[in-house]
Amino acid sequence: MITLFSTLLVILIVAGGFVAVFSKKLLSSVISMGLVSLGVSGLFFFLQAPDVAITEAAIGAGLSTAIFIIAMKKIQKGGTNDDE
Amino acid sequence: MMSDTPEVVKKVFAIFVVGILIIGFFMAFTQMPKGNAVNVNDTVSRFYIMKDVDQATQMLDKGTYFNKDMVPLRNDVPYTPITFGKSSNLEDGAANVVTSIVVDYRGFDTLGEVTVLFLAASGVMLVLHGEKRKVPKKKTAPSEIMYVGTRIAFSVILLFGIYVFIHGHLTPGGGFPGGAIIASGILGLFLGRQGYSPNKAGLTVFESLSGMAYVIIGITGLVAEKSFLANFLPTGTIGDLFSAGFIALIYIAIGMKVGSELSAVTNAMIVDTEED
Repeated sequence: MITLFSTLLVILIVAGGFVAVFSKKLLSSVISMGLVSLGVSGLFFFLQAPDVAITEAAIGAGLSTAIFIIAMKKIQKGGTNDDE
Repeated sequence: MMSDTPEVVKKVFAIFVVGILIIGFFMAFTQMPKGNAVNVNDTVSRFYIMKDVDQATQMLDKGTYFNKDMVPLRNDVPYTPITFGKSSNLEDGAANVVTSIVVDYRGFDTLGEVTVLFLAASGVMLVLHGEKRKVPKKKTAPSEIMYVGTRIAFSVILLFGIYVFIHGHLTPGGGFPGGAIIASGILGLFLGRQGYSPNKAGLTVFESLSGMAYVIIGITGLVAEKSFLANFLPTGTIGDLFSAGFIALIYIAIGMKVGSELSAVTNAMIVDTEED
């Protein structure tokens, strides 16, 4: 069961990474990076490192995503790469 | 050096300084210990050296910690099992081994880590100080549900963050995750109300005081136990809230420091954003 769930999490992480790299919209890149952090945090939990999982969930998925979005809003209004 | 000194003198002086640094750097190698005389069996528990999970599980099932063909680690110290809630006056007394290493045995390392975070936060706040603030004009104001919901959620998140860093020596977690959780709650407050701003001076004072508290605890250890950041409080019974000496105190300081730091960073970024 845990193996199945971990496999799903790994697939989620890889898919999120691909979206983060290849997406045209910057906002979806940032949000999928938060998704990657969430998946990594779940993996840490299954690998019996709950300390790291809590930190990753709070900082990686929560704060850094928000700070990326704020910085993105600050730099450009639209959030797309290809409309300039 | 004076401004009217000739260029050659300056260069010679610079080469001199760099040469001394290089010589000192290479002299450190001659002073280093050899490093090949460490007997790992002396310092580390056999249970952690043995990477075979099946064998370890078998030994746990049989109730025998040591196998027959295994030599006990130290013959002079008898093996006494540590029972949760019963064993007292241990060397460290923290139920969470990670915390015990991070705060107690490697306390100076954690002080450096806190300093790194402090430097990063001060760099951010130097660049984006969030002073220039006009009336924010946003097209979409957050709804009433968002306003009420984030306020209710903030109280729960704050409580959970405080729980995480107060129970750092018992359950997984500690100062850094607890502070980050509190900062996430404050980020929710930012999202819920337009023009929300925490008391910046209060955050600064809070952060400085908690940072000073860490160093003061360390110096108290220096005075009491003759070593910086030594555990000077009784360790108590393992598993109790009041156990493990000063770990809880240090984690409270770290949690408050990290929480106020990350909140101040978020404040600086968001307030500067809403300037237009």
